[in-house]
Amino acid sequence: MLIQLKKFGTTLSSRPTGKEAFAAFQPSLRELKEGEAIEIDFEGVIVFGPSWADEFLTPILDQYKDKVSLSHTENPSVQATLDLLGQIRAGDFDI
Amino acid sequence: MDKSLLTIGEVAEMLGVSVDTLRRWDENGKLKSFRASEKAYRYYSEQDVYLFLNDLSHLAEEWVEREVGIEPDPSFYCSSNDVFQGRLVKMQNLLAKLEDLATPFSLIVALVGEIGNNSFDHNLGNWRDLPGVFFAYDIEKRTIVLADRGQGLLRTLQRVRPELKTHAEAMQVAFTEIVSGRAPESRGNGLKYVKAIVAKNPLDFLFESGDAQLSLKKGVSQNLEIREKIPSILGCVAVLKF
Repeated sequence: MLIQLKKFGTTLSSRPTGKEAFAAFQPSLRELKEGEAIEIDFEGVIVFGPSWADEFLTPILDQYKDKVSLSHTENPSVQATLDLLGQIRAGDFDI
Repeated sequence: MDKSLLTIGEVAEMLGVSVDTLRRWDENGKLKSFRASEKAYRYYSEQDVYLFLNDLSHLAEEWVEREVGIEPDPSFYCSSNDVFQGRLVKMQNLLAKLEDLATPFSLIVALVGEIGNNSFDHNLGNWRDLPGVFFAYDIEKRTIVLADRGQGLLRTLQRVRPELKTHAEAMQVAFTEIVSGRAPESRGNGLKYVKAIVAKNPLDFLFESGDAQLSLKKGVSQNLEIREKIPSILGCVAVLKF
């Protein structure tokens, strides 16, 4: 399954919008087949902050762990946020 | 036209406020314009605008230090997170146009967003009087100022770290340890994120809460120098120079 974050917006900063995005995506996540991988694509994201990430990315990483991979993470704010998440989570996701 | 005179549109963009706000400020004397006649176009002295711009930090501190809160100028006041997010994107659009930024604009916006988000997330239902944040920026002077009349770091962190006694201790924890002020939820990493960005980029960052004050700059990530701030403030103030 491909999750294109730009479909949730290009400035992904606040906790309420991260929480809303996660809730809105639940029906799609329920369609995930057993063993199916998830690619989270950051292409087109302009600003990405840890509050939004903590509401959207963290629960997906918690639930699907090593099935999750991240792509197009070149944006500096994406890198900085993933660095912080990596410190907290001891690198349990694959960029 | 004299090059030292600016149009109302130019000044509106520099201050990040609307033309209507500038007209109101003109009428109430906050920032006066020059007009050949009452119906002529407004022009502003560049020097007046710069003097005005230099006062952003002062305006924020004054607002936070007030015993009883009053709403700041609407141009600087984000009463809800939705308003803050809208203005954050407006600032982002202005920063994106600058070609000589030494720090990627996405990092500046993410940092500022995190400070403002923290104010809302940690003070929801606990504002001292006025909800929301003071959020102002001066693109020309490369300065962004945020402030809130919330609980401040110490009272927020005491909910999960009751052993904390001073504002300086709370600031040390907030900037160096992964901890949440909204336990049992796993969160509270915003200020570590700010420190990490400032440590790797040519930025100057000042943060004040209670009687504690911290300055961060490139290369500083350990051994934080937390100083005493007089007078003490009850919420938080943050100043970023980029």
